[in-house]
Amino acid sequence: MQDVVLKSPVAFAQASKKPVNGQVNGMEIALSFADASVEAAHSETLGICDVSNLSRFGVKGPHAADWLTASNITLPAGTNRWTKLDSGSLVMRLGNTEFLLEDQPENGLCQTLSEANVNESGVHKVIRNDAAFIVSGELTPALFSEVCAIDLNGDALEDNRLVMTVIAGVSATMLKQELNGQSVYRIWCDGTYGPYMWKTLLGIIEELGGGPVGFNFYYKIN
Amino acid sequence: MTGRIAKKRGEWINRDKPLTFEYEGQVVNGYEGDTISSALWAAGIRVLGRSFKYHRARGLLSFANHDVNALMTDGEDTNIRADVWPVSQGMALSAVNTDGGVVKDRNKYIDKLSPFLPVGFYYKTFYKPKSLFPFWEDKIRKAAGLGKVNFNYPRILKPKRYAHCDVLIVGAGASGLSAAVAAAKQGLNVILVDENKQAGGSLTYDFAGDQTTADTLNNLLDEVTSNANIRLITGAYAGGYYTDHLVPIVGVDGITKVRAKTVIVASGVFEQPPVFRYNDLPGVMLGSATQRLINRYAVKPFQKGVVVTANDHGYRTALDMAAVGIEVVAVIDMRRDGAKRDLAEKVTEKGIAVHKGSCIYEVVPASNKMAVKEVVVCHYNEDTAEADPRSAVRLSCDGVAMSAGWAPAAALLYQAGTKMRFDYDVQQFVPDQLPEGVFAAGKVNGVFDLKARLLDGQRAAVEASNYLGNASELITVTNPEMASPSHPYPIVNHPKGKNFVDFDEDIQVKDFINAAKEGFDNIELMKRFTTVGMGPSQGKHSNMNAIRILARIRQLPVEKIGTTTARPFFHPTPIGHLGGRSFHPHRYTAMHQWHVDNGGVMMEAGVWMRPAYYVPAGSHLSASDAVQEEAMAVRQSVGMIDGSTLGKIEVFGQDAAAFLERFYTGKFAGQKVGGSRIAMLLDEAGVMVDDGVAVRMAEDKFYVSTNSSNAATVYREMQRNIQLWGMQVTLVNLTGAMAAMTVAGPASRSVVETLIDIDVSAQGLPDGAYKEGQVAGIDARVMRVSFVSDLAFEIHVPYKAGMHVWQALMAAGKQVGIRAFGTDAQRLLRLEMGHHLVSHDTDGLTNPFEAHSESLVAMDKDFFIGQRSLKIIEKKPLNKKLVTFVLDNGFTGELPKECNLVIENGDIKGRVTSISHSNYLNRIIGFAFVSPEQSKSGSRFQVRTDSGAMVPATVTQAPFFHLLESKGA
Repeated sequence: MQDVVLKSPVAFAQASKKPVNGQVNGMEIALSFADASVEAAHSETLGICDVSNLSRFGVKGPHAADWLTASNITLPAGTNRWTKLDSGSLVMRLGNTEFLLEDQPENGLCQTLSEANVNESGVHKVIRNDAAFIVSGELTPALFSEVCAIDLNGDALEDNRLVMTVIAGVSATMLKQELNGQSVYRIWCDGTYGPYMWKTLLGIIEELGGGPVGFNFYYKIN
Repeated sequence: MTGRIAKKRGEWINRDKPLTFEYEGQVVNGYEGDTISSALWAAGIRVLGRSFKYHRARGLLSFANHDVNALMTDGEDTNIRADVWPVSQGMALSAVNTDGGVVKDRNKYIDKLSPFLPVGFYYKTFYKPKSLFPFWEDKIRKAAGLGKVNFNYPRILKPKRYAHCDVLIVGAGASGLSAAVAAAKQGLNVILVDENKQAGGSLTYDFAGDQTTADTLNNLLDEVTSNANIRLITGAYAGGYYTDHLVPIVGVDGITKVRAKTVIVASGVFEQPPVFRYNDLPGVMLGSATQRLINRYAVKPFQKGVVVTANDHGYRTALDMAAVGIEVVAVIDMRRDGAKRDLAEKVTEKGIAVHKGSCIYEVVPASNKMAVKEVVVCHYNEDTAEADPRSAVRLSCDGVAMSAGWAPAAALLYQAGTKMRFDYDVQQFVPDQLPEGVFAAGKVNGVFDLKARLLDGQRAAVEASNYLGNASELITVTNPEMASPSHPYPIVNHPKGKNFVDFDEDIQVKDFINAAKEGFDNIELMKRFTTVGMGPSQGKHSNMNAIRILARIRQLPVEKIGTTTARPFFHPTPIGHLGGRSFHPHRYTAMHQWHVDNGGVMMEAGVWMRPAYYVPAGSHLSASDAVQEEAMAVRQSVGMIDGSTLGKIEVFGQDAAAFLERFYTGKFAGQKVGGSRIAMLLDEAGVMVDDGVAVRMAEDKFYVSTNSSNAATVYREMQRNIQLWGMQVTLVNLTGAMAAMTVAGPASRSVVETLIDIDVSAQGLPDGAYKEGQVAGIDARVMRVSFVSDLAFEIHVPYKAGMHVWQALMAAGKQVGIRAFGTDAQRLLRLEMGHHLVSHDTDGLTNPFEAHSESLVAMDKDFFIGQRSLKIIEKKPLNKKLVTFVLDNGFTGELPKECNLVIENGDIKGRVTSISHSNYLNRIIGFAFVSPEQSKSGSRFQVRTDSGAMVPATVTQAPFFHLLESKGA
């Protein structure tokens, strides 16, 4: 599998934008869509970036929390919360017994956990296929007011809360984090909905004056 | 612009921006900020439309978004409400519902036929002879109606947004503004919405000749606009109230769905017209309409007018008219005692005559019947609603302002479940018992005095705040003593009628009397028979008078008559708004791009996009030929289908096997690791809802597939039952995480073998077996499943590797002619194999005994979902059986379709559920429900086609491949 270049689940929906693609984490991803200044403007106004290629690891089961703790992973304070490890990896607690971890490009935590043997019952690795996005910009409230019923102006995402909601008709997980000094929203949904989600969000984003942002904007990969 | 007056403080027009537009071919000047009606009226144009039924000339009535006789067409847009729609440069307007223009409308003759066209005439007239009904229907539809629907109207996306707040305040009049300020001071987040393009309500026009209230308005607006807690939305109306304080706010550019923690309804009241003969002529309008014209748009409603009133508001109207130089001939007060002294004196000081205890008996039209010439004033008996024609006096004038009272704009309160009562002090329905979290303030709450309204807004805000957990001191509002703002019966009978109650539908007083005589004397029945309140204004100016008339006919108090149901939307809302931006999520498999690139004809299969069949570039295959060729490839060599849409669920835990035993009909406890079994799911009624395959991957781990469209439902049911049964089971839904493909056909093994690192020989991987290995370097789950072919390999890999594996298999199979096949070929192939599809060949009533699935049901288990129902069902005779059938060899007639009926001696015995020609078999085969007596192999039955032809069919065994040998049934 090491020699196989995989594609982002969103890839074919991005083709019409003619992105500059590149391989990160063994997956072909849109590195950029336009000049850095244009993408920076999108990011400030309203931008969307496909980061489906970031490594993820899912685990579920009544003993999943114990297993992660034993693996020296710091867990979020409670359910529907997330925390950021020193390495930059995100640890999301999706329920009492379910966790999702996501690495930064250089990290190998998810890979390590994926390869680890699980010898105890009540711990089940979960094969993931997420379409993952970063949405940023001052017009994010306008975007989310069209696609999401929850009140993001309130405290729904404060204090490292994450929400599982419906965005544009698709079940999604969402949180707000600081990334490169910018406050951004993160969205994950089932990868098979990824092209739809990308096209739908980008359609509204472009109406509002924003646009797509490539992976390189947030993660400077050469 | 003959009617325009000098610049007024607070006017809504921008005199620095003049503009021109066309109305019925005439060039008209206006200003930015004008509505269509105000600009036309300023230009001296009085006929703004024709009435719905009698095609009578109509002008302004409410000037408040309910002038449904002044609807316009502008290019592709129609039914534009001229009284509120802003005029713009270059508009080319024409009135709707005319034939030959609004002035020379050829249908105006219908008015002369009105004595023969009472309400309900069409219920009784045109239904015989039946053959002529289409003729009459066509005539009636052409004569009566609104704007013509433009079927080429462009699709314009209207976003539907969400918004949230602590308090939603509906109505930005005095009480609404006051409530907003008070609520914001309590720290609450407020959304304040008003249908007018500027906030202020009656503070923007009801001055009584003295604009001191403008200061009150400015102060309130300053507080509102400077408070960051208040979001003011104007030019948008609250369309309805839904559970948990969800209120759609409808604006020009779309709908905002506001989820509020509390709602304050400060929506005000609609002015109600008195009813007298010819109260509909152009130039006769509500008092508040004249005030709006004067004070918002600086337009004189007329040069020489009279005011007819049944409350004090008429006097305020007269003062506003006099203040801008209109000659007010008289105030005609229907009340015996007239207005309070100070108000009456203010009017008489202006030289205006006041006639107490009098009414307008009739308006005398100008010779063209399109304007007011004079009014006939008579003494009026409030008790009998009769005028005394012997006292008639004629007053020359060109317009009439009329005020009789108000009806609460209480639609949202009703929809929220408010219990209303009739308050005789104000002659109005007012809230008696409000639902939790809903509050009312101002005129809709029966509070009319300005100071009291301001205080009532504050009271409502405090109560809303306390409802949200604060503990502020409550405010008490006392209504000052004043004359009732509404008259109990502002009706003037006239032997010649044309005293209109409902201007939308041309309904007169006599129509209500006749309806009651015919037995339609309940308000809901009367509404439907007379159609009162069923026009575009939805009874905002007619329902209250209709209730009063019915109350008098039945000699009951008004509250015993009640009101009709107030349904959302409060105001007609464009379908484009309701539709909004559509979200239709689609799922795409990992191989989607390959399908598209290779001629896949994609179709929606539930939420999935799947190739139905492939027409490769350069090929000219018909759909049918493509499907047959794909199926033939599977029968003769090898084909591959993208099966990623299958539901895929992992079931872990110590109770995994026990759980499946309870969930599905079969047995799984003794299933060997590496083996698979059919997993059939029933509902509690014993109806088949899904079938899939359960693979045992380990003692405590199963991998279960479901039908493509059922994955979410089955997963949800599993979750629910795990909780219900308290079992130690963990579920993972891998439907979207795993790509799947089936390589099928006699050459399939040779193709798979080239890429796989495990033994897939007949011994290594027999039918029904499961193994894990690597395919094209990717970790894969491989199983032998014979759904479309005796030899087939189902390969599941992680989604992100799906395309890679698919392409590798296609490349490996190239030399043996591998062909991708779509869902259409899959249906034919499984039909040849004799496999039914749950939900396609079965329906919402089919149990396993009817679908030859008894072998999948372990009735001897302690429990499974639906078992209890099956125990009852198995004791009863079956009504139908699903069978496989074949049409006669060489059949060339009309091919039956799915759902064509199986007929026996004229009775329906069943229906065809699947049917297809198979090139491989050279026969037409299918599934059908038949009576149990017809279900034995060799039985014959008849299928009736769409044209009525009867096609014989023979029940036969499946798989159908024996037909190749027998060459017959």
